Amino acid sequence: MLNTATEKTPLVEMSHIHKRFGGLHAVEDVSVSLNAGEVVGVLGHNGAGKSCLMRILSGAMKPNEGKILINGQEAVIDTPQDARLNGIETIYQTLALANHLDAAANLFLGRELKTRFGNLDDARMFSEAENALRQLNPNFKNLRDAVSNLSGGQRQVIAIARAIYFQAKVLIMDEPTAALGPSETAMVADLTLRLKAEGIGIFLISHDMHDVFELCDRVMVMNKGRNVGTFAIKDVNKDDVLSLIIKGALPDDWTPRGQA
Amino acid sequence: MSEVQTRSRMRFLPSGSALHKLSALITLLLLILAFSFTSPAFLSVNNGLTVLLQTAVIGLLAIGMTMVIITGGIDLSVGSVLALSGVVTGLLIKAGLPVVPAMALGVVAGGVCGFVNGLVITKMRITPFVATLGMMMIARGVALQLTGAAPISRLGETFGALGNGSFFRVVEMQANGFPKVIFPGIPYPAVLLLVMAVLGAYLLQRRQIGRHIFSVGSNEEAARLSGVDVVRTKIWAYTASGALAGLAGMVLMSRLVTIQPNEGVMYELDAIAASVIGGASLMGGVGSISGSMIGAFIIGVLRNGLNMAGTSAFIQQIIIGVVVIGAVFIDQMRNRN
Repeated sequence: MLNTATEKTPLVEMSHIHKRFGGLHAVEDVSVSLNAGEVVGVLGHNGAGKSCLMRILSGAMKPNEGKILINGQEAVIDTPQDARLNGIETIYQTLALANHLDAAANLFLGRELKTRFGNLDDARMFSEAENALRQLNPNFKNLRDAVSNLSGGQRQVIAIARAIYFQAKVLIMDEPTAALGPSETAMVADLTLRLKAEGIGIFLISHDMHDVFELCDRVMVMNKGRNVGTFAIKDVNKDDVLSLIIKGALPDDWTPRGQA
Repeated sequence: MSEVQTRSRMRFLPSGSALHKLSALITLLLLILAFSFTSPAFLSVNNGLTVLLQTAVIGLLAIGMTMVIITGGIDLSVGSVLALSGVVTGLLIKAGLPVVPAMALGVVAGGVCGFVNGLVITKMRITPFVATLGMMMIARGVALQLTGAAPISRLGETFGALGNGSFFRVVEMQANGFPKVIFPGIPYPAVLLLVMAVLGAYLLQRRQIGRHIFSVGSNEEAARLSGVDVVRTKIWAYTASGALAGLAGMVLMSRLVTIQPNEGVMYELDAIAASVIGGASLMGGVGSISGSMIGAFIIGVLRNGLNMAGTSAFIQQIIIGVVVIGAVFIDQMRNRN
């Protein structure tokens, strides 16, 4: 396995992660790190194990083996709550929204704001949600509608707002632009760069090569559950990455592009 | 941009669940109107209070049932749990315990049954339908076994107070020495139902547990990923349903001043019908206590009105069955457009 990235004290370090479903090795001995203020692209075919790996980091799934270090400290991430306590927020591909609840209820789901008497503080949640959503999309309307009545783009904005509202240190974005139109995709790209500038570490799962090369500092490619290469983005081009995704190996004549 | 699209919806119309609740309320009022024509005694204070009394038991069950249904589950055990709670209370009173702690322990027994339901559903991963069907048989069996299927009577006057007492009862002694009831009073069960309904609605709408109940029923995986403790939320809902079934048992047995271990058969179906008529969706995520109370009263008024009009119990079953299907059909028609 080649690794041309420079070593620092990483924000997140996943080492030797294994995840098996019966006989199937969904994730096999994968190690990956993420630094503060860095965007790492996680690439691969459908079923290559990238979503699985990210679900392990976000606490949605437990690994069979391996450990996760946060700022060099071993962290136990058994549940989504554990991940959040460690500053890890996730934008799921499925968005993970409760369709019958409105935007504010979804944004604060599991972390509801309460009044002194322990009642739900709906007024404050609504105004906070309004602010958070308007920052991402000034045209956001229908805040009081159940999210099942909202458009795909609006739902995506809620999922993104939920991840960044709580001051994440690590953000996992699983296909964040899959449901979006061009202008919204550009908005997400801007947002990604802004969050990166704020020192947040981001794992970006994407199929869109354009996004990957525009936003990522490094890419990690998975094939059949294995990490087949982690590269600084300047060392590879699109053909190299596609070769890794499809073949699981670099083109035979490859040399680090950045040094050429 | 797609979200700038303004949907042409008529804002002045009440939408979604509000509309359903409104139509259920109108149905209830129409029923009352119709019955007051068919039977002159229907629209009287006395009969109104009778309906309140009769509906209290179904109403209490429907509060818990609604919470369970909103989580996307169902509780078929409430009728049997009601009987078992009564039996526990009866045996404790016979063992020498005073009425109030015995009743409290009866409610606790109901809560324990619900808690077990929750554990079986979440930990053993048995579907709610099967788990509570099992509990329905187990609780009924235990109730019958403990009593040898015989009623427990002679429980003392205090035991009958909850079911038969009332607030603001005005009785006047007549010249001939017989008492004359001027105002029969507001029955305790009706007050209890109101208190529990308000409490239930408060928990569902204003507290975190209520928000979590809705989220679990709406999208269980999303709730889990958002950090909602799905297992705890479900166990809470089933425990509440069991405890309310216990409370309903106290009201019912107290009204009869006898513990009947075979009471409450099919009550779960009335409770489910009340929730569904009131707009709860068996798919989860939708429902309200106020809607379910309207649903309970629709069933209560139907029963009472049909009784007073001399309709046979068999015909009543048919009519209530049709009403349940009709209510769900109308709801689906509404959701489709």
